[in-house]
Amino acid sequence: MKIEISRQNLYLLVLSVLLLIFVLIFSFAVLIPNGKEYRKNRVQILKEEKELRVIKNYNKDTQETLKTLRSENKNIIAGFANTFDQKRFKKLHGGYFSKLVILKDDKEKVEDGFSVYSVKTISKINSPKTFYNFLDSINKTEWIISVNFPINFKREGKYISSSFTMKVYSNLVDTNTTK
Amino acid sequence: MTYSYIKPREKTLITSELKLLFIFFFITIIMLFMTYIFLVYKNYSFKQDHIDIVASKKDLNISSAQMNSDIKFIEKQIATSKKIFTQNTVLKDSITNMFDLVPERITLSEAKLLENGLILYGITPNKDVYNFMLQAPLRSIFHRTYSSFYPAENGWLFFVSKNYIDDDEITTKNEEY
Repeated sequence: MKIEISRQNLYLLVLSVLLLIFVLIFSFAVLIPNGKEYRKNRVQILKEEKELRVIKNYNKDTQETLKTLRSENKNIIAGFANTFDQKRFKKLHGGYFSKLVILKDDKEKVEDGFSVYSVKTISKINSPKTFYNFLDSINKTEWIISVNFPINFKREGKYISSSFTMKVYSNLVDTNTTK
Repeated sequence: MTYSYIKPREKTLITSELKLLFIFFFITIIMLFMTYIFLVYKNYSFKQDHIDIVASKKDLNISSAQMNSDIKFIEKQIATSKKIFTQNTVLKDSITNMFDLVPERITLSEAKLLENGLILYGITPNKDVYNFMLQAPLRSIFHRTYSSFYPAENGWLFFVSKNYIDDDEITTKNEEY
């Protein structure tokens, strides 16, 4: 049996076969690998976006915590950041004493990660109550100051002469400062 | 001379069927290429997104680490300041207690508050007043108490009272604190 195919039909057949071959080659060689990569990248990007959201939330929470800490403790933070100023100290606390002499020890020490220098204080007070008021005010002052032993009180006429050491705490210059 | 009643149609290589096929080919190829372009573009976009996300994650991690470091530092500042404020308050209470301890009949001339002790200088009408009214409470506070007397011009007695707390006790108290 002889199959007769016209020239036109032959063209149609050949072109159709060529298209099929092209489509198959293009699909297997280009589209499917790209599609696989697309699917892999999509899954990966969704995973990374989820991780990013978690990190963003953590960052936001940390930022909130830091902001709250800073606002609730701004006096303490400022206290450590402030440099001790004798004139300012005398202006703020001189009222408690009849006489106030402050001698700064130049040797700074490092204590618990903070710079600490000692200030020797010689003063005259009217009554012990004045000294109590001074100790109350020292916790609310512009610096972080601890009053240390030894403390001497000596009666001198109608006044009490007192001498004590104060330690002024401040941030170390080359470390993490919070402003 | 004509052999047919109809007008002869022109024979071309591209017939209407072939045209239709070409249109079909064209659409198919266009769709394939558009899919290819979409995939290439999306893959490129994902890669860019990946780079951006990695950079964002790195920045956020650095920022979080910095903030955590700041938080730790502020917490350290708070702890240190609270310790100092407590020390100042305790010191104030100690001085208040010391002055409250001295009875009216005894006059202090000097007081030295040491880290582990207290030295008092003063004048008392007699030893009994000192022993009952000052030394007894001092003994209940301090571990070691030493007193010495010497006469004053008005018949009263000058006294020096040295009182100490043993270091072991201070260490224990500090550890408890």
